[in-house]
Amino acid sequence: MKPKVGFFDFTSCEGCQLEVLNFEGELVELLKLVDIVNFREAMTEKSDNYDIAFIEGAITTEAGINRLKKIRERAAVLIAMGTCACLGGINCLKNFRTMEENLKIVYGDAAHYYNTIPARPVDAVVAVDYYLPGCPMDKDEFIALVKALLLNKKARLPNYPVCVECKLAGNVCVFEKGETCLGPVTRAGCKAICVTNGRHCWGCRGLVDDPNIDSEKEILQKHGLTTADILERFRHFNGYLEVSK
Amino acid sequence: MTEKVLSKQNLNIFINTLLSRGEEIVGVKKKEGKYAFGKIADAEEVCLDYDITLLPPSMYLLPQREALLKFNIAERPVAFPVIEANPFILFGVHPYDIKAIELLDTAFSTDNLDTNYLNRREAATIVGVDCLNPNPNAFCPSMDTAFTDKGYDLLLTDIGDSYVIAIGSEKGQELLKGCPDTQEATQVELKRKEEERQKALGKYKVALDTPLEKLPQLLDKSWNSPLWDERSESCLSCGSCVMVCPTCFCFDVQDDIELNLVEGERYRQKDACMLVDFAAVAGEGNFRKDKVSRYRHRMYRKGKYIMERFGRPGCVGCGRCASACLAEIASPAETFNLMKGESK
Repeated sequence: MKPKVGFFDFTSCEGCQLEVLNFEGELVELLKLVDIVNFREAMTEKSDNYDIAFIEGAITTEAGINRLKKIRERAAVLIAMGTCACLGGINCLKNFRTMEENLKIVYGDAAHYYNTIPARPVDAVVAVDYYLPGCPMDKDEFIALVKALLLNKKARLPNYPVCVECKLAGNVCVFEKGETCLGPVTRAGCKAICVTNGRHCWGCRGLVDDPNIDSEKEILQKHGLTTADILERFRHFNGYLEVSK
Repeated sequence: MTEKVLSKQNLNIFINTLLSRGEEIVGVKKKEGKYAFGKIADAEEVCLDYDITLLPPSMYLLPQREALLKFNIAERPVAFPVIEANPFILFGVHPYDIKAIELLDTAFSTDNLDTNYLNRREAATIVGVDCLNPNPNAFCPSMDTAFTDKGYDLLLTDIGDSYVIAIGSEKGQELLKGCPDTQEATQVELKRKEEERQKALGKYKVALDTPLEKLPQLLDKSWNSPLWDERSESCLSCGSCVMVCPTCFCFDVQDDIELNLVEGERYRQKDACMLVDFAAVAGEGNFRKDKVSRYRHRMYRKGKYIMERFGRPGCVGCGRCASACLAEIASPAETFNLMKGESK
């Protein structure tokens, strides 16, 4: 029996789901292994009978909390997919203002029609079995996780910083180019895609298990960032974490 | 063997001749103000006056990731070894990197012969070039790696308008046969070579305070030094020092399976003792859980363990780690000198 899989979106750009649809080389093979029974962005049919739930997006409404809890009850395996689901992501930027302010900024005169709560990652609401961090999540990691689940193997994310992959890519260090980077404390797995393409690491995959934040902050300061700059940098994707407070 | 001399212009012709007859050449090219080894398409790309490359050339002998075997676990599981080794020329390797390759040769041919490494090594032709513009973090003279008289097939020394070429092997001699207009080096030219080398020695900015052979003893006395804690406090456990190291050869072995769930490969990829999970074992155990033990371990590898096991230091003094370390704690020379200062 092929496992039944559902994709569910919460507060997000839906780019991670779109990423799944972009797996053009692998989709046919993937569909031989699993049945997709719920995927709003890709199909009309909907079933509440699924084994594996992929959750995209941060949780930002009371209704979202209830919906997520129901999905958790139905799914044997629940996976947080993408930075918003894993970390809260950029949605957590709003947590640094009052919810009233946010509603007013976004909805203006119509603010009273809406409600919102501080943004939070999926695991702040329900237990998460696996994480696929990244903005967007990484295809190879997604496929490796699916294979591991099917083979009953343990799937693990890299627990080392982006620097490892960045060095292996042969990149000139961002700091050496006079810029700054969150690579030294950010979980690898992205193959240092941003630095390899000329930018710096924004920390979209969250922190490694035991990051040396003090050292990273000192290095950022030495390279010209103020305390406020550093906080802003961490808040971009990691606003829910202690490091951004 | 006698040494030859070749004009710079003719060296370019030589390189392009090799390329046109289909030789694969991996050489040093410019990269964003730095230098990196890469596949050469034209002699014009080749830099021979570089200070240091971002990554060491040993990565062409021990790739960052390589398949070891392919398997199929359908009905009757089968596995086949994968050994990929195509002839290529590693062009413009500095002596410290040549000595690092010699260490890998020893490591991969001691006890278990590492077929993958040794086949690739056999397929490689090494054309060295003397390092006359050392990187500011390098301390090669202290590690006896500023120059070498072996480990290469050919070795070039820039003497201004031409190169002196030392021949290190029959393979090198054979390669040079395709080279136009090489002359026997004259006494004057050999003297120039010696002068250039002496000049280069004067350019190193970092030196060990301890004689090389005394490093293991120094470290023996330093195990409980408070300096380990102080030095490693700012360590990011980012592994950069290891990723750029020409002598680090540790790897991790994993299996990967295709989406058909029957075919797959076993591969190895570079691993680093400075990473948190390097010494992690089943049951949540980790032999080097804290950064100070990882940091000290790396320094012991560089100055003691490798030396005691293979008779040569685990560091060639290239300074890549010191350049790559954002916390500025990675230089073995700096660390050993601090230990020496403390032990006085």
